[in-house]
Amino acid sequence: MQTFLQYTILGLALGGAYFIAASGLVVTYTTSGIFNFAQGAIAMLAVFTYWQFRWGWGWPAPLALLMVLGILAPLLGAVLYQVVMKNLRGTSEVTKIIVSIGVMLGLQALATWVWNPTSSTPRQFQKFFGPNAFAHFGSLRVPWHIIISFIIAIAIAVGIRFLFVRTRSGVAMRAVVDDPELLQLNGGRPERLAMISWAGGSFLAALAGILIQPMIGSAMSAGALTLLVIDAFAAAMFGRLRSLPRTFMGALIIALTTTYVVAYFPSKWTWSSSFRNSLPMIFLFIILLVLPQDRLRGATVLRLRERFRMPSIRTAWIAGLTMMIVVFCLKVIMAKTGVNTLTLALTFAIIALSLVLLTGFAGEINLAALSFGAIAVMVVYHFGISGTGTEARTTLWGILLAAVVTALVGALIALPALRLRGLYLALATMAFGVFISRMVLTERTEREIFGLKFTLFPTGQLSIPRPKIGPIDFNGGDAFLLLCAGLFVVIGIGMVYLRHSGYGRRLTAMKDSPAASATLGMSVVRLKLSIFMMSAAIAGIGGVMMAAQVGTVNSDRFDIFLSLALAMITVVGGIGYVSGALFAGIFLIAFIEALNLMLKKFAVDYSSLEAIFMFFISAVTVLPATIGITMGKNPSGAVSDIVEGMNKVKQSKPLMITVIGLEAAIWALTATEVITNWHFVILTFANLILVPIVGGKFLMARAMRGVPKPVPPELIGIDRPFTDEDLAAMDQALNLDGVVIPSSTTLREEPANASA
Amino acid sequence: MPLLETIGVKVRFGGNIALDDVSISVEAGSVTGLIGPNGAGKTTLFNTITGLQPLTSGQIIFNDKDVTKEPPHKRTRMGLARTFQRLELFTTLSVRDNIRVAGEIRNRWSLRTSKMDVNAETDRIISLVGLSDVADREVGEIPTGKARVVELARALMIQPTLVLLDEPASGQTEEETGQFGQLLRDLAGEGLGICLVEHDMSLVMQVCETIHVLDFGRMIASGSAESVRNNPTVINAYLGAPESVG
Repeated sequence: MQTFLQYTILGLALGGAYFIAASGLVVTYTTSGIFNFAQGAIAMLAVFTYWQFRWGWGWPAPLALLMVLGILAPLLGAVLYQVVMKNLRGTSEVTKIIVSIGVMLGLQALATWVWNPTSSTPRQFQKFFGPNAFAHFGSLRVPWHIIISFIIAIAIAVGIRFLFVRTRSGVAMRAVVDDPELLQLNGGRPERLAMISWAGGSFLAALAGILIQPMIGSAMSAGALTLLVIDAFAAAMFGRLRSLPRTFMGALIIALTTTYVVAYFPSKWTWSSSFRNSLPMIFLFIILLVLPQDRLRGATVLRLRERFRMPSIRTAWIAGLTMMIVVFCLKVIMAKTGVNTLTLALTFAIIALSLVLLTGFAGEINLAALSFGAIAVMVVYHFGISGTGTEARTTLWGILLAAVVTALVGALIALPALRLRGLYLALATMAFGVFISRMVLTERTEREIFGLKFTLFPTGQLSIPRPKIGPIDFNGGDAFLLLCAGLFVVIGIGMVYLRHSGYGRRLTAMKDSPAASATLGMSVVRLKLSIFMMSAAIAGIGGVMMAAQVGTVNSDRFDIFLSLALAMITVVGGIGYVSGALFAGIFLIAFIEALNLMLKKFAVDYSSLEAIFMFFISAVTVLPATIGITMGKNPSGAVSDIVEGMNKVKQSKPLMITVIGLEAAIWALTATEVITNWHFVILTFANLILVPIVGGKFLMARAMRGVPKPVPPELIGIDRPFTDEDLAAMDQALNLDGVVIPSSTTLREEPANASA
Repeated sequence: MPLLETIGVKVRFGGNIALDDVSISVEAGSVTGLIGPNGAGKTTLFNTITGLQPLTSGQIIFNDKDVTKEPPHKRTRMGLARTFQRLELFTTLSVRDNIRVAGEIRNRWSLRTSKMDVNAETDRIISLVGLSDVADREVGEIPTGKARVVELARALMIQPTLVLLDEPASGQTEEETGQFGQLLRDLAGEGLGICLVEHDMSLVMQVCETIHVLDFGRMIASGSAESVRNNPTVINAYLGAPESVG
């Protein structure tokens, strides 16, 4: 009984804190229509800042609280809205999700930058009123911190409810989501209201973080704290992102269940702590499964800003061949470490291909690509290796089996996708990813089911050898590089073929307008299942290649944050293109790695400037997230910009010859070791990016000479006289040719026309 | 027996009643008009007929079968097609591919004996509705009037017995509308049932044999084109009662 009460009270307090975080999510979602994935990261940042003030600099608690909760957290929320989220109106749900994930990863990188996690003293966080302040209820001792958490949660619940239902600005806030333009016409200011709600949401996140951290009692860790608040996602979903009372209930149920698991599961069940940790994710997945079906919608935004042009099959072959040649040429001049980095980048690019297929082609979302990789790696480890020691090789059959198993798991994850889209699906896949990280990849002990003994992830390390396929051994670095490049090219070209097939068109139809597809008789079940399975299999194969490149992988290699970063960078690269996946792999692995190495080399070479270069090295950790956040400005992705530049090159023979000639010269100089690889990298960048831009400008200027500058339509008649051609052009633009402007008599004849 | 019948259809959005006891019928081989001022519930009625909008009460009978509980794609497979007022084109596909994919979707669910040669049928439909000049353009680049014709062409690809057209002529030039009316009459002549929502009264009066009039979710008139045109309630609904105009 004593235990029961003790844990119930703990559960209630934890539930209170979950609720506070979840209510912040509900508030921002209902007013801005953006689900804030960064909620956990904001909480985490607040905890670290509070720690800095309170224990780092020894401020008194009220001052530190005022600073964090009263000023910094709301300010962060408001700034995030003003700078980032405001620009997201009219973008697709994928872009919204990715940008808010970018913010999350950015804040996390920032925290690890400022508060170095490898510092010698673990940062401890104490309960309010100290660790020994207890209230006594009979024989029961309850820490004051716990009591306060629960009271604050209830106060917040009542407060928000009052705000939304009773006050004018609360009602206006709810109106923002329904129809911002209508609200504006009625004198409301949607932008300002949304900004206020983001400030409030950020405040609630910070509050939740500061309340939760002492309850877990362990040292502070950026990743763990961020994920802890993700547990609150389940509570928010319980209320379907609308109902606060239901959110409260959900938070309590989740928190109480987890604490009871700790209290009552026998200690010999070694998996109970993993189970406890993954419970919120299991809840989240189940809630999403039983959510009622989305109403079939069409494209809710009339014209999305995203635009993807489909390459022809011929272009795909040319691109594939070019890529093989480029990889081969690089292999010749590169050092062994370079080959390794490039191979790793290509394996990530293969995993990213699974995202292009799923999101770019079919409009579905998967935020846990690497978790599929993890499953495939486990399959290969257990069933796909022949030989031992240095003779060990991954077999073709092992890889195929891994692909089949991941495809089946993919089908399982597609279950919520059959009925849900967008955000809900993103959350379901994320729940799956966190579940795999917390429950499966932590399985170090031997289990026995039906007499079958196995250990999923023994010693936390899995050694995956390079593959041997038929007579060809890919154990060597160069051979394996070519295998990965070949695999990428084959899958990529296959995807372009797929996109041009009837199946690909049906996928596009499903993505572009589910409503229209349904009224053409399409049943999405098989289509969605098959695309999820295919995508999962590709992610699985990529994961195996990645593990084979690394050699020995631990669970960190399949971290959910890495999956999120990969998804984000693929969207940045251009989720609709095969080349977007290549961009993701190269950028996330090779480019960041190269940048790091270069800065480190500079730091050594120019030791007087070491501090500056060390600063840049830290800044590089924030770089991917920063780029993710800029997605709001260019939703079609970076590759489309690069492609635009390349098109200029393609249209102009002299420019093309110049670029290819220069590149060949640079390569030759490197191959003959006249210049170093660093020069090669820098010169190549300059050649491929700067020459087309400068050359394009030059050619454009030459072509434009003698052509009069076009006058913008609103200045016709002012800057120059109005001509008949202008009139014709306008008629055509408005689709009015041949329209006779109705006179009053025709109107009277047809009264219906007047009201139409 | 009419091809389509709605019996006492009622749809409630929270406190708003969008459709109240609406009963209409559409015959095969004829064009039936469905008119009414903006917000009268015409599109909502189409959504309930196609299954995109669940109804609060009432029944929908199509081909002598009660389809009230059937999901949208099942209704389509029985021969029901539609176009959308707010265009629902596949914006990343070309005009031709928009039409072609409809045939490909159809071939996935149709009986083996009735599979079509998608490419040939696409070409036939494109020239039938007069889209040859824009067939290979991106669907986002063509004018709205043409885009609505693409919607019709796409609906025709599934070889329906009934097609619901939601303001297909808005955005069309007068000349295009004339050709469009002729096309609708031809299609009806071949036995297709057509239900037309349209604000262009000359087109409605020209092609519709029967007209149903909705106002504020209620049916206020129903009958031949001639009787509806002279119905005082209809005139009031469109122009307001005489004193309020005064």
